[in-house]
Amino acid sequence: MENSIWETIGRFYESTVFIYGTILLITYALLAVFSMITVRAYARKDKFNQENILLSSPLAPGITVLAPAFNEGLTIIFNVRSLLTLNYPRYEIIIINDGSTDNSLEQMIDEFELVPVDFAYNAKIQTKPVRKVFKSTNPAYAKLMVIDKVNGKSKADAVNAGINAALYDHFVCTDVDCILDKNTLLELIKPVMQEEKKRVIATGATLRIANSCEFDQGVMTRMRPPRQLLPRFQEVEYIRAFVLGKMGWSLLNCVPNVSGGLGLFDKEIAIRSGGYDHSSFGEDMELMTRMCRYAHDNKIDYAIRYIPKTLCWTEAPASVRIFNRQRTRWARGLAQLMYAHFGMFLNPRYGRMGLIVFPYNFFFELLAPIVEISGIIYYIVMACLGLINWPTAILLLVFVYTYSVMITTIAILWDQLTFRYYKTWKEVAFLCTTPFMEFFLYHPLIVIFALRGYYYFLTGKKSAWGNMQRRGFQTTQKAAATVTAK
Amino acid sequence: MEYSLYDFRGASLNIQIAIIFIFIAVSCTVIAYLSILTGRYKAYKREKKLANLNPVIDNLLMEHILLNDELASNVPAEQVALPIEVFQLPVFEKKWARQALIDRLIEYRNNVRGSMGEQLRNLYIQLELDKDSLRKMKSRKWDKKVQALAELSNMNMSIADVTILPLTNSRNRELRAAARHAYIKLSKNEPFKFFDVVTEPLLMWDQVELFKIISTTEHIAIPNFAQWITYSSNKSIVSFCLKLVVHYNQVSAVPAVVRLLDTKDHYLRADAINCLGKLKIEDVEEKLLHMYNSQPLNCRLEILKAIGRINSGRNVDFLRQEFLHATDFDVRKHAAKSLIKNEWAAKGLIQELIDTATAENKLILKHSMNPLIKF
Repeated sequence: MENSIWETIGRFYESTVFIYGTILLITYALLAVFSMITVRAYARKDKFNQENILLSSPLAPGITVLAPAFNEGLTIIFNVRSLLTLNYPRYEIIIINDGSTDNSLEQMIDEFELVPVDFAYNAKIQTKPVRKVFKSTNPAYAKLMVIDKVNGKSKADAVNAGINAALYDHFVCTDVDCILDKNTLLELIKPVMQEEKKRVIATGATLRIANSCEFDQGVMTRMRPPRQLLPRFQEVEYIRAFVLGKMGWSLLNCVPNVSGGLGLFDKEIAIRSGGYDHSSFGEDMELMTRMCRYAHDNKIDYAIRYIPKTLCWTEAPASVRIFNRQRTRWARGLAQLMYAHFGMFLNPRYGRMGLIVFPYNFFFELLAPIVEISGIIYYIVMACLGLINWPTAILLLVFVYTYSVMITTIAILWDQLTFRYYKTWKEVAFLCTTPFMEFFLYHPLIVIFALRGYYYFLTGKKSAWGNMQRRGFQTTQKAAATVTAK
Repeated sequence: MEYSLYDFRGASLNIQIAIIFIFIAVSCTVIAYLSILTGRYKAYKREKKLANLNPVIDNLLMEHILLNDELASNVPAEQVALPIEVFQLPVFEKKWARQALIDRLIEYRNNVRGSMGEQLRNLYIQLELDKDSLRKMKSRKWDKKVQALAELSNMNMSIADVTILPLTNSRNRELRAAARHAYIKLSKNEPFKFFDVVTEPLLMWDQVELFKIISTTEHIAIPNFAQWITYSSNKSIVSFCLKLVVHYNQVSAVPAVVRLLDTKDHYLRADAINCLGKLKIEDVEEKLLHMYNSQPLNCRLEILKAIGRINSGRNVDFLRQEFLHATDFDVRKHAAKSLIKNEWAAKGLIQELIDTATAENKLILKHSMNPLIKF
């Protein structure tokens, strides 16, 4: 009797996991097809778009670039200079110094000839107090504004202060440690200007890993896949997530998230939605969800668009310890989001957001690590009891492995066929070998860190933002300079 | 092999499916790698071929056209005999090479002016490259059509209205845009005729592109945009015409713009107010003030901005009133900004406000007065 109960539970579990896995694999296959359609359509249309037209146009919409900074003294000057080189006729840059305890602010004051100004700051979104606002006396830096505020213990609070001070109707949110392509603003505003019927509330673009790329005065001059294994895994993961995942979802207007590293947002909708939530660990996804929710509640026919072009390079964690911290935070943010907005789950009132995006995130993002770890435990128990049919088990494992390699390779293929960022064959081959190791070396880490994030969410463990312990892009430059000198 | 097949047939359905999918996954992965390989190789070959051909084209164009003294004379371009035989190389029998030649000719034509541009156009015709463009024009693919339209309009080749006009309403945005550009550039008599027939909205991007074409095309007859402001049922056309009215400082269109102040669409109304402000039409100030209180926020802000731009100095009391008593932060900020623009008529008033205003209002005033802050 007892045996039969366990057998029934076991069979139920196996069937559930089988259905779960099948749906996931089908979803990935569909995303691969959808992304191919959108990436190809983008590439074909992009041939005929002349960004230069916008550069000299008095009709170009203004954009505010927001970059929060907390103890980024190592790279702050380099990164602000990079932002100042952006190619766009009407934009301003707001750096929000979120109570840094290093000399970030002093460096900026000296370098950009900043002076305090009487700025009428209107706190449409509540933030920690703004201490001072600085503008440059040098006309060359007229676009730059620096806000010095009390530390809000979150990136969200800093960005909200920037949104309050933003002049234009659209803002681009980026991290101060990110390096942007010089045409980023031209590219991000295009979907907003080219949309026929819907209101584009956000636009995102592909992010890549900067670790082994070469930069000159804040401009990316040579793109390379990271030499170190951990950042290289992240590069492959980013290609899969952006080129395959988000581009695929954008065909259905179901983009779940616009990355915190780079995204353009409709300021009015962002403010009306309450801005970034400073208590969230996944503030970018949280804002996107709230903006969609607001749009649905107010019957705004909205769209979120994605661009397959790489417009932003970010320094990826190169050590497992920092990577752990980052992924734990992301997982915790996802759990928070699901908990806070569970009312949208399978709620037809929220259209595709409630019926597709939310269920997908819940089942295949939030639950995935739990399903995986339960599967491994089940596997071990069954192995100990001698109940595993090893040839079948290995065959299934091979199937999952080959499938995951195929999906990642397809993502690399779409990227390569459309843009061919890497200069040499060796670099492409180098990147192509990475998916073969990802399954064994990288994926288990993701699962463990995600579970850790869920644990922190359930136990309410305190944690702060920032402190990524960056090495800075100058090191690459210096290294390159040293090699050249030798 | 036989044994394996026997095993496969005897396996359960799950296993059979798994084996099939392993086979598919491995095949797709291999195909993906081969595609990356061939894609890169083809691109490399294409770039190499072009890298070899472009200098040849450049040399031919420089030597026989651009630096040819005989062609630089005052003789009309169409009467000059071009040395086309030097361009009749075997390589130009190939489609890709002819396309490279067209691209290069367009590039050169965009960078030269006067008779030399005409000589390049003649060369394009005499080498029968226009036939290549017209062939693309007949293609069923939208991207070929767009390419053809770009080539023909860059080479100033006329296209019949019956061919282009339907395309200006195409459902494909790129084709629609290319057709509109070509129409404006090529239509000799009524370059803006498509404004009458356009049913699809002009997107923001379309407006930027059209604005560029209109403002940079030489010898274009600029019509009175009032006709579309008054009669067009397409709101985006009206909005675009308002921008053109500002750009060309078309004061003759002002009565039509003033009539637009009574439209029910408040976005369009805001555009009209903006236009009047930028044209600095003093006569409308009274009307703007009269309508102010019944307007939504966007129109009220535009009225405040317009008063600042018109800078007549007649309405500083109204601005003061709004600055002191409005509850909306943006209204106070715009009122302050406009007061500062009317400083010549409100010097004493501004000082008085600085001395007596609340801390927040004082900050708004100082903000507005600071030249380092744009807004």
